Amino acid sequence: MAKNQEVKAASKGFNWKSLTKAEQSVIAIGAVAFILGIWGLYTRLFVGEREVGYGSYVVWGLWVSMYLFLAGVATGSYMIAVLEYLFNVPMFKGTGKAALWAGLVTMPAALASIGMDLGHMDRIVNVYLRPNFMSLLAQMVWGYTLFLLVVIVTLWFAFKRPSGAFFKVVLWIGFFMAIFLSGGVGALLGVNASRPYWSVGLLSVQFPIFAFASGVSLMLIVVGWFMHFNDEEQRYHLFRWLGWVAIALSLAKIYILWAYLSQAWYSQVPDVMVPFNEIIFGEYWWSFWIIQIAIGTVIPLVLHMIPKLAHNKFWAGAIGVMVLVGFAAARANIVFPAMSVEMLDGLPTAFFGPHLNIRYFPSVLEWSVTLGVIGGAILAFVLGAEFLAVFNKPKTEVK
Amino acid sequence: MAQEPKDVLVRMHEDLQRALEKAPEDRRWVMVIDLRKCVGCHACTIACVAENKLPPGVVYRPVLEQERGTYPNVSRSFVPRPCMQCDNPPCTPVCPVTATYKNAEGIVVVDYEQCIGCRACLVACPYGARTSDFGYTYTEDLPVLEGAIVGRETSDDYEVAANYEYGKEWSRANHGSPIGNARKCHFCLHRIHEGELPACVSTCIGRATLYGDANDPDSVVAELINLPNVIRLKEELGTEPRVYYLV
Ligand code: SF4
Ligand code: SF4
Repeated sequence: MAKNQEVKAASKGFNWKSLTKAEQSVIAIGAVAFILGIWGLYTRLFVGEREVGYGSYVVWGLWVSMYLFLAGVATGSYMIAVLEYLFNVPMFKGTGKAALWAGLVTMPAALASIGMDLGHMDRIVNVYLRPNFMSLLAQMVWGYTLFLLVVIVTLWFAFKRPSGAFFKVVLWIGFFMAIFLSGGVGALLGVNASRPYWSVGLLSVQFPIFAFASGVSLMLIVVGWFMHFNDEEQRYHLFRWLGWVAIALSLAKIYILWAYLSQAWYSQVPDVMVPFNEIIFGEYWWSFWIIQIAIGTVIPLVLHMIPKLAHNKFWAGAIGVMVLVGFAAARANIVFPAMSVEMLDGLPTAFFGPHLNIRYFPSVLEWSVTLGVIGGAILAFVLGAEFLAVFNKPKTEVK
Repeated sequence: MAQEPKDVLVRMHEDLQRALEKAPEDRRWVMVIDLRKCVGCHACTIACVAENKLPPGVVYRPVLEQERGTYPNVSRSFVPRPCMQCDNPPCTPVCPVTATYKNAEGIVVVDYEQCIGCRACLVACPYGARTSDFGYTYTEDLPVLEGAIVGRETSDDYEVAANYEYGKEWSRANHGSPIGNARKCHFCLHRIHEGELPACVSTCIGRATLYGDANDPDSVVAELINLPNVIRLKEELGTEPRVYYLV
């Protein structure tokens, strides 16, 4: 009976009843998030940017953080696809299409999130027509647009010509782009000598590693909640390997975080210490200790150590979600606190007005837009994946 | 008989006329702020707001109040902070569309029609000298007083009337630029080109803000910028600010 259901679900196209409980639940969550986001998206697009919490001192906020996060998921997903198609890693066999589809969905979501942050969205075309390639931002806009095209081409090949030589060329191009672009978003921050907290070594180096870790976490969700297997052994085999990779990446993450924060601490440079204290003890402590460290790192590590849970479909997916939430918080913790520094002694109190504040918490509008973007991405990912049948392992294809 | 010394404002006007006769690239506009004379009246801030019709949340020249020491050994100083018009500006290379750049006269300007409002330049400026225009007006929450001669509608008219930054007409009427743009002090280029000093310089009650062409050895500013008691803010960053402080 269970097998019949899976075979049914594995056929191309979908109808609601053929979806698994997990798929139905995730679609429902995505739909709720998207509905909560409609107000924000409408307000931002047709009313304006006034109701945001960021401003002229804390210049970038939640939307920029989400751009960094979603761009990391997109490039990380591509790296996973490369493991199957370019390096032929057996354990990743069959996950490539889902990974590419995830990249194709999260990339536009990332661009939408950063687009919302622009004072003149209507002029984004200027970046294509009159770019200044000295600017990391221009490089990123061009780079991610080209990357999006590369993901589309890769996905096409994965479906239509998986064994063609040109496919490998595209994959190499995409692979290098994924590494450089994921590091580039770190450099986008790091080039600002005006913000010493971003100039601590290791900032941009950590981004490609975190991007790959995001890709692995997404795969845990896909394998745990969505992929259809005829032979459940295959799933457990994937869980085991993904689990080991995830543990190794978590340890690397802890080491990098320690190296970064300890350098900040031992430097005792005042403009570095202000954000450091905000993150560890101040306004953002809960985001760091509870979300980034406890939910995003420690609990997943503990769960990985308990085979019964780590190999359980629900918990494996839940681990993936927790790690991703942790990464989202980590991005926010890099972006906002670095800007809560007084650029000059007495500047924040020299003139008062809207958006002239060094304290920042995302406004309702920002949360709503973010929910809308993420909800939209979840819906597109699950529904599109079902439609394209990318959740099927090749062996389970219905003849 | 010794000649009566000229008021510094008169001298600066004469300096300005001489500078305007030169080619733009031969001028080197600088500002000198004498912190010993600044009394912290904020008149320059307000003059700038009025001149450039700056909306709430946008400020080009705040006056920072800095306190040092503990009682009884305390001091307080007032530091006006315009844009430094850095000779190595970190704000320009980060702009993805070259909407902000150093013009022929060495003033860092913003092309409002090109700017996409990404605020990368706000992030990059080490002096916090740029603010974003989120489209507010000072009068928007005031009641409309029926029959009053000066009610909200009249003040509205004033606020949405055009300003003339960069020598162009910028009306706020239809939420067009500079709403959504990065904005900053431009040393009142539009006034300079008409032979007027920047609004903050004309307004300063203590003659504490001085302006002119440092390439002209006879100018007021050229006499001052090499004095030993001159400092520039965050000089260690190598931004080469064109605003000098006398301390
Ligand atoms: S003070 Fe800031 S805005 Fe002005 S030129 Fe320097 S870096 Fe640019
Ligand atoms: S806000 Fe405007 S001027 Fe500043 S970097 Fe972005 S596009 Fe350039």
